[in-house]
Amino acid sequence: MSKTVGIDLGTTYSLIAYQDPATGRPRCVQGPYGTPLCPSIVSVDPDGAILVGEPARRRLLTQSSRTIYSVKRLMGRGIDDVQDELKLFPFEIAPESANVLRVRLGDRVLTPPEISAFILRELRQWAEQLFGEPVDRAVITVPAYFNDAQRQATKDAGRLAGLEVLRLVNEPTAAALAYSLHEKRSGKVAVYDFGGGTFDISILKLVSTGEGEIYQVLSTNGDTHLGGDDLDNLLLSRAREEILREHGVDLAAHPEAVQELRKSLIRAKHDLSAEDRTAVIFDLPGGGTWVREFSRAEFESWIAPIVERTIGPVKMALGDAKLAPSDIDEVVLVGGSTRVPLVRRRVEEFFGRRPHIELNPDEVVALGAAVQADILESGVRDMLLLDVTPLSLGIETMGGVVAKIIPRNSTIPASAQEMFTTGVENQTGIDIHVLQGERELAKDCRSLARFTLRVPPGPAGLARIEVKFLIDASGILQVSAKDLRAGAQHSIEVQPSYGLGDTEIERMLEESIEHAEQDFTERQLIEARNEAEITLVATQKSLARDQAQALAGDERRAIDDAVALLREAMSGRDYKLIRTRLDALNTATEHLAELQMNHALSEALEGKRLGQV
Amino acid sequence: MTSASTTTITAICWSCGKPAASGHFCAACGKIQPLAGDADYFAFFGLPQKLSIDAGDLEQRFHALSWKLHPDNFVRASESERELSLERSSQLNDAYRTLLDPISRVEYLLAHQGMRREGQHKQQAPPELLEEVFELNESLDELRMARAAGGDPEERARLSKTLSAAAKKFEASLAGVDAELRQLFAAWDKAIDADADETARRALMERMNAALNRRSYIRNLVAGVHGELAENC
Repeated sequence: MSKTVGIDLGTTYSLIAYQDPATGRPRCVQGPYGTPLCPSIVSVDPDGAILVGEPARRRLLTQSSRTIYSVKRLMGRGIDDVQDELKLFPFEIAPESANVLRVRLGDRVLTPPEISAFILRELRQWAEQLFGEPVDRAVITVPAYFNDAQRQATKDAGRLAGLEVLRLVNEPTAAALAYSLHEKRSGKVAVYDFGGGTFDISILKLVSTGEGEIYQVLSTNGDTHLGGDDLDNLLLSRAREEILREHGVDLAAHPEAVQELRKSLIRAKHDLSAEDRTAVIFDLPGGGTWVREFSRAEFESWIAPIVERTIGPVKMALGDAKLAPSDIDEVVLVGGSTRVPLVRRRVEEFFGRRPHIELNPDEVVALGAAVQADILESGVRDMLLLDVTPLSLGIETMGGVVAKIIPRNSTIPASAQEMFTTGVENQTGIDIHVLQGERELAKDCRSLARFTLRVPPGPAGLARIEVKFLIDASGILQVSAKDLRAGAQHSIEVQPSYGLGDTEIERMLEESIEHAEQDFTERQLIEARNEAEITLVATQKSLARDQAQALAGDERRAIDDAVALLREAMSGRDYKLIRTRLDALNTATEHLAELQMNHALSEALEGKRLGQV
Repeated sequence: MTSASTTTITAICWSCGKPAASGHFCAACGKIQPLAGDADYFAFFGLPQKLSIDAGDLEQRFHALSWKLHPDNFVRASESERELSLERSSQLNDAYRTLLDPISRVEYLLAHQGMRREGQHKQQAPPELLEEVFELNESLDELRMARAAGGDPEERARLSKTLSAAAKKFEASLAGVDAELRQLFAAWDKAIDADADETARRALMERMNAALNRRSYIRNLVAGVHGELAENC
């Protein structure tokens, strides 16, 4: 029997969870690195192998042109949509990006759904190793504010990873599900989900009925391009300005150094969630060190405008639900960015009540997805999610104006029928343009599909074609048309304005099977060699420093021996041997690492004194 | 016509072939049924076509039907049943959204009875307000011109004040139309209960239609004024 899982395909991290039959509760699968968080990073090896997660993250610093992070920002988007992202993210967009974005990674050109599929496949392997059985069905979460194209791209990614996507569930809704299991709740709940790349707010009503609990989403709002990434990018651009001003070093020519700096700043951001002060020590390319102390107050003054951008959508969602902040009974925080103290304070101030933070904000969405997966798989239901479509669906009418046919925040599935006819004699086609968005004009909304209804020639107004627009429970649009005169329903092929066509997905699936069949050991070997390489470089660096003089003679010999043995193993193909010898080297260098650490600490203190002068 | 909900037309079940399929599910085999051609949102909830609806009761019916019809129930069912569930649950949601709001509810009833066609109803200026509408439009024009010319702030403030006062007045007449509609709702429900004849019901529907046209005219007017005032700040 195969298992059904819940997957949180996040901007920064992705997780996979399942309903644990032993406890009746959802659980995240721990990956090979001892954490359920799989960095949403993919790297293409020169020999074509794909690295995902932690090993790919390590390559961000050494092979940044072959490695991609935050690919979720590109999902379901066209070239014109991503111009802002391109200024901030090192995405290399391939020239053949007419309908679908294509990203160049080393010598491969991949679409965002293909890249996301690598992440999904990795997670799937984690689960399959744990269960010892295949996993082929999943519930995947998406930001509530994702539009049709972004949802479709996510579903395509699932399909490319060999998963049947039973349902896409909105992230805040999944979180509400997990939270309510944790502690029974009722009344009106606001879920504030501030993640790595997206912000969502959902207002839910929890109702107990004879059959079970109903989680009815009343309204949702958000910004699919607002998240922790924005905080990081802000810190990064400020730091780069300072480095240029103080040291005359322009990091634009050093992409690897930019990644290194970004990593240090993210660490500082994390530190400031717990500490009042922190310091960043950054080795400049070409010598010199940038030492910068940050206080939490300074950090907060920088990020306040970004945090404030979340409040507009919160007000909109409340307005659509016809509620005031004081009507909300519970506030739930989700997403890594809600660890930032300023975010918590702002939410508490807005709602006038202390938000819930009992569950790990990184895991709660995946846990909720696992609950929904179990509901769908087992058919045993004591809860029901009624979610909404975040954006109004419309069709273009005369003068480029959009006529709304399904309003935003309609419970899904939702549908609308429209009748179309011909305007002139012997007209043989009626053009239909479907859009999503709240603006009045078609040019300001997101184009979802354009198609032509074919009609037999005849007098104007004789044709009567009924078009049915249906948004399914995953928030994805289906269109069908019926010729009322003929009475026969002919389903029409609706070509999305953007995104992948069916034939393209078939082709990618075939390709991915070829690629995916690469030997498991081959991959393990690459990963082990990479890690060994990183450790060897670090060891050589450490040994070259002054503190290495303090090592005892036999300690030094033990390290040299361990290095030699590891090198020997690396020339072979036995990844287990490489791992064993890597562990041995790590043990041998423990004292050296300690010496190094002490020195770094005293250096940091010195830096501080200098700063104070 | 009001007795339509009681004289059930027995439909044949697509699955078991028994004449027991007039509801959401076949009474004989329990399979979900396709939608009939002409949907009646009221009948969908087992309600008569009355306009006074208790929101709490409607919500309970909505939740009870959601448990039965939602696609979650049909993940492992046959493809055709999955499609029927999608169709029927989307209609449930559309019907609930429409009937929950009193205005969309009466608009739906009138459309269903062939009294009001989408996109074809006129927005009528209420005759008793014609003079005020004329004055309001003049003030709006003046304000637009003053702004376009970069006009002096005092003049613009004066115009803003006039407009706000006029908007208040129109909001009051909007409340009047809403009160009128409530009375018509009650009259309609009484007519349904009394099984009143076609002529009496038609007359009521005509009046509701006229009230709706006035209402949408005034609403647009008020929204226009507020939009203009917001730009003037």
